[in-house]
Amino acid sequence: MELPRLGAFSSSRLSFARSLIRKMGRQRWQVTQTRFDLDANGYGEVIYRIQTPQARYHVVIFSRYLDDANRSDRVIAEAWDLTFGLVEGDVEDELMASLSENVPLQEAGRQHSNLLVISRANRSMRNFSSFIEQLSQGQQPCESLLKTAGYLYRTTAVYGNGKFGIADFARLRQNPDFRQPFSAQMTAVYVLRQFSIDQVEHIARQRSSSAVPLSDELKRYVGIGNSTGLGMAPFLINHPLLINQWVHMRETALSLTKQEVADEHSQAQLLALMRRAIQSLQECDIEDADQRAKNVDVVNELSMATAWLDQVSPESDLWLQLTDWAEAAFTVETQELINTLLIELYPDHADALEDYMAAEESLDLIPDMPLIQLKQLIETHMDWALQVDLTAPDERFWFWYRSIEKEEPRLGVRGLDEGEEKELSIAIGPRIQRVHANLDKHLEDDPTALTIDFLMANPRDSDIIRRIQTMAVSAYGEIRANLWHRDMKPMHLLRTKLSFLGAQRFDPKGERWVRVTFFQGAPLISELNAEPVDLVDFDDWSFALAPEHTGSQAAS
Amino acid sequence: MKVSFNELQSLSWKAFIGLGFSDGQASDAADMLCWMESFGLDGVKTLKEALEQYSLEHPYSPPDILYKDTDITVLDAHNVSVLACSHLPLELAFTQARARGFSVLKIRRCRQRQLVMGYLARLANRGMNVTAFWRNSQTPLTEQVIGFRASSTVPSIRIYAVSELPDENKDNTGITVVMANHVDLLPTMRSEYEYDLLARHDESDLLEVRSKTERDGITVDTALWAQLQGLAKLTLVASTSSSRLGAGPAD
Repeated sequence: MELPRLGAFSSSRLSFARSLIRKMGRQRWQVTQTRFDLDANGYGEVIYRIQTPQARYHVVIFSRYLDDANRSDRVIAEAWDLTFGLVEGDVEDELMASLSENVPLQEAGRQHSNLLVISRANRSMRNFSSFIEQLSQGQQPCESLLKTAGYLYRTTAVYGNGKFGIADFARLRQNPDFRQPFSAQMTAVYVLRQFSIDQVEHIARQRSSSAVPLSDELKRYVGIGNSTGLGMAPFLINHPLLINQWVHMRETALSLTKQEVADEHSQAQLLALMRRAIQSLQECDIEDADQRAKNVDVVNELSMATAWLDQVSPESDLWLQLTDWAEAAFTVETQELINTLLIELYPDHADALEDYMAAEESLDLIPDMPLIQLKQLIETHMDWALQVDLTAPDERFWFWYRSIEKEEPRLGVRGLDEGEEKELSIAIGPRIQRVHANLDKHLEDDPTALTIDFLMANPRDSDIIRRIQTMAVSAYGEIRANLWHRDMKPMHLLRTKLSFLGAQRFDPKGERWVRVTFFQGAPLISELNAEPVDLVDFDDWSFALAPEHTGSQAAS
Repeated sequence: MKVSFNELQSLSWKAFIGLGFSDGQASDAADMLCWMESFGLDGVKTLKEALEQYSLEHPYSPPDILYKDTDITVLDAHNVSVLACSHLPLELAFTQARARGFSVLKIRRCRQRQLVMGYLARLANRGMNVTAFWRNSQTPLTEQVIGFRASSTVPSIRIYAVSELPDENKDNTGITVVMANHVDLLPTMRSEYEYDLLARHDESDLLEVRSKTERDGITVDTALWAQLQGLAKLTLVASTSSSRLGAGPAD
C-alpha cells in the first residue's frame, strides 16, 4: 500500500483499543483500586486490580516528583512524572520491592518477568494544574482544555514483549486475555486513564475541603495522550506480515461492508456517524498547521458527503456510490475516514475479524525457486521499487541509523551526517532494486539458475530475498515507498501503527513526532464495573464529543 | 541474570551485526541461538565458547567447496562457527533433497556444531526429514545424532560414547547432514561397533523444557551479556547535538 494512504488511516472498530473495551464489557472484567498511597502532592504508589474470567492482573503506578527541566517526551529522557507496569498475578511484598526499584528506571532497570508491560508518562502541565485548581475551588474545569490536549498524562513509550526482562509475548499466546497484539499495552494505558482522574481528584481534595469530584461527562472526555517519535518506524518495516494482516483485516471488513445492501436504517446510522465525526474534528484544537488544514478539508468533504447522503434514497449499491465518489473527488484522509465509518455499520463483519489480527513473523526462503521466477515476482509485485532513480540525490537523501543514546532511531543526511556506514536496513525499496540488478547479471551467465545458486554467490542478500519471496504474494505488507527520499514523511509510518492501536486526534510536531490521544470518550471503569447490559451502547464511543460547556474558565 | 527471549534475540542479532554478519546471517544466527536456549540446550554457553575461540570472526568468508554434485556437497569451513557458515549450505542441501529425494552435506572443520539444530528445525518444518551427525574428540569419543521428523520442529537427540572405532576415523570437527524428502531418518541405535548411550532427549522431554523456559526466561552469564552489549554498541552511531535533531526537534 502507498505510504500516504497508510498515513491517512483513522482508528476503527478493529483497532486494539476498541476491541479491548468490547472484550472487557462482554467478559465483565472488573477493575478495582487496591492501594492508594499518595501524599498531598499526588506522589506515591497506587495499585489497581484487574479481574478477568481467566486470571488476575495488577497495574502498579509510581508517581514521583519531576523537575520541570527534566520533563521530556524523547526516548532519551531518564525520568518521568510517573512510571507504571501491568503485572500478571498478585503483587506480593517482595515483587513490589523489585517493581519499586526497577519500574521507575524503565530501560535502565532489570524488570521482573511477571510484568507484561512497562511504561511511563508525563503530565500535560496546563491541564493538570487547571484541573486541580478548578476542582479544589469547587468548580468543574473548562472542557475546552481537553479540546487542545485530550488528556492529563501522555505516555512516551509503552513496552511489551520481553523488553528489559519483562514477559515475552510468546507467553501470552495461550493467554485468552492478552493473546491479541497490544491488548496488554492497551489495558495498562486504559487503567492509567483512571489513575489520572483519581490523582487530580485526590490532590484537589487535599488542597481544599470544598473540592468537588470531576463530573462524569468530563471524566469520559479525558483520554490518555501519547507522544511517539521515529522509534516506532522500524516496527512497521520489521513486522511486514503483521502489518499485512492488520491492513488485510481492515480491507476485508470494508469489502464485506460495501457488499451490504443499504437501507434507511443503515443510511441514518452512517449520517449520524458522519455528523459526529465532523463535530469531533471541529472540536479538536490541533496545533500543527498542516494537520489543521487537512482536518478542514476532511470536514468540508465529509459535510458534502453528508448533504448528499441526506438526500439520496438507499439504493442497493449506495456504499459503492459513496466510496467511488470519495475516491474520485476527496482527499485520501477523507476517503479513509469514510471507510472507517462504513466499517462501523456492520459490527458482525468487523468483530468476527478481531481474533485474526495476529501473525507469526516468519520470512522463509524458497531456495529452489528458479531465479527467473524471482525476477518475475519482483517485476510483477515490486515494480514500485524498480521505478526509482537511485542515482538522483533526492532519492537517496536520508539514511536511517540508531544513536548510541538509548538506541534512538534517527535520520541522517547521506554524505553529510556521520553514521552512514552503520545504516539500518529500513529502506526496503533500494535493496529490492539492487538485488534485481544483481540477479539480472547472474541470469545472463546462468539462465536456469536457482535462488540458492545466486545466494551461494551473494550470501549477503539472503534476508532481502526471503523477504521478497514471502511478501510478493502479500497484498499489503510491503510499504510502497522509498524511505530514503528527501520528501518521505516518517509521520505516515507512525500514524499507520497508531491508528491500529486506536489513537485519535493526530497532532504532528514536525515530521518526526506526533501527539495522539487514546480512550477519549471511552466508557469509564465505573461503567465497566457496573457490568453493562447494552454492549452496543458501551462500544459506541468513537469520535468523542466534548461535553456541554462545563467550566467557568476558558483555556488561554 | 535472567533475560527474556526477545532480549536475547534482539541483543544477539545486534552483536552479530557488530561482528560483521550480514542482516540475514545475523538473524539466522540469533534464531539458532534462541532455538537452542528454548529447549534448554545451552545455546548461550556455546555462544560464549564461540566468542572465546574467535570462531565468529570473518563471517563473510564463505566455506570452500571441496566437492559438489547433484546429491553431495563437501565444504571446508576453516574452523568458523556453524552460526557463521552453515545456513546457505544447508539451504543448498535442502534444495538437492527436494530435487533428488536425498542429499548429503558434509562441512569439515566447523565449530559449535550443536548450534546447527536451530536451522535444521526450520528445514524440517518445511516438510523435510533431517538427520545430523558429528563426533567430539574426547575420551571416550562421543557421537551426537539429531533427527527431525518432516514438519516437526522438535528433534530427537542421542549422545553416545564409542569405544571401538573404524580405522578411517580421523577428523572430529566436521558435521554430516542428511536430508530425505520421503524417508524417515530418525536416529536408531543399531551398530556393529560397541557404544554406550550417554544421553537421549525425545520430543516430549524437549517440549516440556520449552514450556518451562518460555515461562521462566533464560539465565545468562552477566559477563557474556556485557560482552554482547559491547558488540551491539558497534552498530550504534555517536550522538551529537546536531544528530539529536535527526529524531526531530526537541520537545
